[in-house]
Amino acid sequence: MDGALRLWTVILAVGAINYASRLSFIAFFARRSMPPLLARALKYVPVAMLTALVVPMLVVPMSLPAAPGINPRIVAAIVAAAVAFVTRGTLKTIGAGMATLWLLRWLAG
Amino acid sequence: MRHILLHADFREGFVEMLPACAALTPFGVVTGVGAAAAGADFSGAMGMSAIIFSGAAQILASQLLASGAPVAVVILTCAVAGLRFLMYSAAMAPYLKPLPPRWQNTLAFLLTDQAFAASIRRFNAKDDPHGGALHFLGGGIAMWGMWQITNAIGYFAGNLIPPAWSLDFAVPLCFVALVAPLLRDVPLVVAALVGGIAVFALDGMPMKLNLIVAGVLGIVAGMLTDLARERWTAR
Repeated sequence: MDGALRLWTVILAVGAINYASRLSFIAFFARRSMPPLLARALKYVPVAMLTALVVPMLVVPMSLPAAPGINPRIVAAIVAAAVAFVTRGTLKTIGAGMATLWLLRWLAG
Repeated sequence: MRHILLHADFREGFVEMLPACAALTPFGVVTGVGAAAAGADFSGAMGMSAIIFSGAAQILASQLLASGAPVAVVILTCAVAGLRFLMYSAAMAPYLKPLPPRWQNTLAFLLTDQAFAASIRRFNAKDDPHGGALHFLGGGIAMWGMWQITNAIGYFAGNLIPPAWSLDFAVPLCFVALVAPLLRDVPLVVAALVGGIAVFALDGMPMKLNLIVAGVLGIVAGMLTDLARERWTAR
């Protein structure tokens, strides 16, 4: 399959699945309440999935030659995580992370 | 159509959503950057933002497709990330019950974390399902429109700004900004740790299946920790 066909297959399928999830209890299971165990599991979907998504982006840098010893992306991400934990601000987090990455690369020459 | 757009409840919902839209701007821009970094063309990037309408799923789709994962695996992984919509759907269902199916089907498409929060407030404040639905529609359309604009800006920024700036690094940082503030409860920390370690440890799995397996392991670990703690404190 070529790239555009792959992308549009994913767009339509994921769009349909997301819409079905959004519609689920509003329309399909309107008479049922959410099973308690399912409700408990769903609480952990964002943290588990998003962390699994982020780690490969840090460990396998796509556009950066790794400095010997430390991976600047991991250090920058840790700084950003500390800022996010304390301030809860998205812009502050992105700013701190990008600044740390640029600083480390400048120091490494 | 015109009578809907002129309705006071619709405009109120639209205006009330604008601060949340502004707060979501970095995420929208970063999602567009992610699409550009993965090599999607403009129509594909905008198709994702218009139809998928979920930042996490869009970035997963861009990344996995760029890495050459099979289409079925991409779809399955995005579907798991989208499971949280079940939670919002269940919470929203009682408020939308009095409305005709046409309204339910429309509003469900616009259901996002932010629209959910804003309209629950409104539905609770006034016992007026139709006014609440118009309010939800106004907020949902504001959010959808803003999402398209910010995604487009990010797509062009991602293609224009030199790669030396590593703008693609803003993508993981945006997720760090979403996840790190949540890590104030032990089961959530366990879910994140297990998800993060498992995706790294299982890197050898074919077809990028490690992402979905790690996500599911993290969810199960968080839930088990939660159940264990409940047992422990109940004794």
